[in-house]
Amino acid sequence: MSVNQLIFRNLKKNLKNYYLYVFALIFSVALYFAFVTLQYDPAMNDTKDTMKGAAAIRAASVLLVAIVSIFLLYANNIFIKRRSKEIGLFQLIGMTKSRIFSILTAENFILYFGSLVIGSFIGFSISRLILMILFKISGVDAIASLHFSSQALIQTVVVFCVIYLLIMLMNYVFIKRQSILSLFRVVSSTEGKVKKMSIFEIIIGIIGVVLIISGYYVSTKLLSGNFTTVTGLFGAMIFILGSVIIGTYLFYKGSVSFIFNLIRKKKDGYLTINQVLSLSSIMFRMKSNALLLTIITTVSALAIGLLSLSYISYYSAEKMAENQVAGDFSFVKPEEAAKFNQVLEANNISFNEKQIDVIQVDANLKEILGNLNGLMVDPKAMTMPVISDKAVKNIDVAEGETIFTGYNDLLQKFMSLKDSGPIGLKGQNETIPLHYLGLKKDSVVSGYFTNGGQPTAIVDETVFELLKKDVNPAIQKESSIFIGITLKDEVNIEKANDLFKEMFGSEDRFNSSRLEISNGQKQIMGLIMFIVGFLGLTFLITSGCILYFKQMGEGEEEKPSYTILRKLGFTQGDLLKGIQAKQIFNFGIPLVVGLLHSYFAVQSGWFLFGTEVWTPMIIVMVIYTGLYSVFGILSVLYYKKVIKEAL
Amino acid sequence: MKILEANKIHKSYGNKFNKQEVLKGIDINVEKGEFVSIMGASGSGKTTLLNVLSSIDKVSGGTIKIEGKEMTAMKERQLAEFRKHHLGFIFQDYNLLDTLTVKENILLPLSISKISKRAANEMFNGVAAELGILDIKDKYPNEISGGQKQRTSAARAFIHEPSIIFADEPTGALDSKSASDLLNKLSEMNQNRKATIVMVTHDTTAASFSGRVIFIKDGQIYTQLNRGEQSRQTFFKDIMKTQGVLGGVPNER
Repeated sequence: MSVNQLIFRNLKKNLKNYYLYVFALIFSVALYFAFVTLQYDPAMNDTKDTMKGAAAIRAASVLLVAIVSIFLLYANNIFIKRRSKEIGLFQLIGMTKSRIFSILTAENFILYFGSLVIGSFIGFSISRLILMILFKISGVDAIASLHFSSQALIQTVVVFCVIYLLIMLMNYVFIKRQSILSLFRVVSSTEGKVKKMSIFEIIIGIIGVVLIISGYYVSTKLLSGNFTTVTGLFGAMIFILGSVIIGTYLFYKGSVSFIFNLIRKKKDGYLTINQVLSLSSIMFRMKSNALLLTIITTVSALAIGLLSLSYISYYSAEKMAENQVAGDFSFVKPEEAAKFNQVLEANNISFNEKQIDVIQVDANLKEILGNLNGLMVDPKAMTMPVISDKAVKNIDVAEGETIFTGYNDLLQKFMSLKDSGPIGLKGQNETIPLHYLGLKKDSVVSGYFTNGGQPTAIVDETVFELLKKDVNPAIQKESSIFIGITLKDEVNIEKANDLFKEMFGSEDRFNSSRLEISNGQKQIMGLIMFIVGFLGLTFLITSGCILYFKQMGEGEEEKPSYTILRKLGFTQGDLLKGIQAKQIFNFGIPLVVGLLHSYFAVQSGWFLFGTEVWTPMIIVMVIYTGLYSVFGILSVLYYKKVIKEAL
Repeated sequence: MKILEANKIHKSYGNKFNKQEVLKGIDINVEKGEFVSIMGASGSGKTTLLNVLSSIDKVSGGTIKIEGKEMTAMKERQLAEFRKHHLGFIFQDYNLLDTLTVKENILLPLSISKISKRAANEMFNGVAAELGILDIKDKYPNEISGGQKQRTSAARAFIHEPSIIFADEPTGALDSKSASDLLNKLSEMNQNRKATIVMVTHDTTAASFSGRVIFIKDGQIYTQLNRGEQSRQTFFKDIMKTQGVLGGVPNER
């Protein structure tokens, strides 16, 4: 057999084994190419202008390269170790190391550049789809067209050539360093020696769990006011990151085998087949894979967390805009509102107009403030907007009473209010004492008056008149009249919004359009979500592949055990059940830990991003889990094959 | 009572153009409580015979009955079930699971049958004490010697009191001291527990511990030797003589 034949034979055999590797390779090339194409796409200019979209996409493509190259190097490392016996054999029959290296290089070249060609082709064809997705979620109104960019192709080819060279360098070093004997021994030396649990490991195991839990605990306290200074807050964040990551590492290093060991001790030697295949095998392997698993867990936690947060913002965009505008359009200058009204009438759009007098008053809230979490304001004199109960439908407060409205979760975190209590509203000369009755969610006036998110006090008409006569001019805004316009028919909102944009530009401090704000928010968050989503997907696929490859190796290594068990009379079904249990742990533990990490990360800070947490977070987590389990299922199928061949 | 009854077993490998016949019609009967050795030169088919008898491999022709049940007609699943309950195995390379302790390895065959933990423990203590491995029960296979590993493997074969135990070169990887230790234990177990043992070996000393030796040559039974009332030494000499006649390669002229 000539060398060329050898290369093709090897390739054919390897393709069957490494179809997932090839798939991951093609996928990453395709995604990278699509991203780079996007970067050079003229249609992207629309998005670029408003939000520096190109910069974000370029940063994403750099990250993509980092993920992909780490994955490829790692996967290559696994494969070359598995082939060490073959390399040893070649050396034994008298091939020189450089000859073997050239065989490997040729083999990889075909595999790698074959995937590169297919990947670029796929990447080119899906780039339009990807662009369409981007436009869809960021709400940009542009037509995605197929656009080939030779610049993008060159960039892709260069990047992947560099990765290829790196891989070859690694192979070269590997072959150079090995002697024939050690090559034969590689496989057996990687199998961790089975040892007894030492006290040290038990301690590591306990410390790991304690660290993770304490990190979680601090994260729940992070933004609830226990850390008031910036340094304190920063320190707490560093502590959380450190303790959770180190804790995760120790968890894999010690806790898993510690817990499993406890279970085993309890069984006193009497293990079922499921436990034989799952517990005992995982106990010893988790330890040696601790670093890898920690990285996978941390990055997937990061991916899920970021994805959840960006989805939360995206999801909450409309809600936030509603709070901000309090109606479909809001104005603070009557003449501008009148102009807009004329235009609306001219276009046959019917609407309701609401005018509310708003004054700014210093309020003494000391009695009803639960705690002031690090807000640099004086609780005895907080400036807040006040309106009359006449301006609000369905609310009628008595003379000595007041209700706050326009409350949101973010505010509640920083400034929690008691259910009721006495407050005082300060005018220029006198203070009016009032009884505070509670909070309502609806916002009645626009963000212009509420400084973004403060509640608005509703008082009785007579009290309002008193306050109005006695206002403190120093704290009043330019305008003290809010004009809210609500369309009677939601269908017209886009048309009205276009008219609004024509007249006033997209947005300014005084006039705002709910649709416009919501769209702007969606555009930014949509792009972020799009990028995080695709990076997360790439990471998910590459880390899933790595776990799968690890399982492939493990399956081969454990094949003799399956032979023994089958000789002893366990059926393939028995073994497969045990393998399923094992894979649930193998893939499940990193997944569950990653989900937990991201859950606590999201819980500690989601209110900074939006108004709704559960639905977006759960959607993201379910999708992630679903995609992730595909790899678990694939590995079970692989094991099935191994078990079948074992006897 | 006949435990094992094999009639005219044939086994061949390869396709019809390139057929390699390994077993050419072998008849073997084993009575309950017997300790039978199968001897033969390399390539004579003794390991194939054992694999076929123990249902790990399928026959090409002939029938095998264990305790009156015909195994050759059974399906894969039934065979596994049958092995689980009726057969015990000792292999040359021990075949212990590295990730399990000695005790866990030994208790493996019991894990499927619905035996209470206490009963299992009692059975374990009995077998382990007899084989002298009670004090290493919490060690892992890579912490014990070859002899101890093989005794662990033997304990695993005996623990569920199978109808018949198949041993494939059990002393092949052991030094002479551990080997004779193990063989002494095996013949004790054979006596005390009335366990039926079929052992494949090419070691004359090992064979001399058994009650009957079957010689195989080129896939056929060449001859049989019965120990009867002889001492082990005399039986050993008999086996040596037969082996000499059996020879390796036929004389060429």
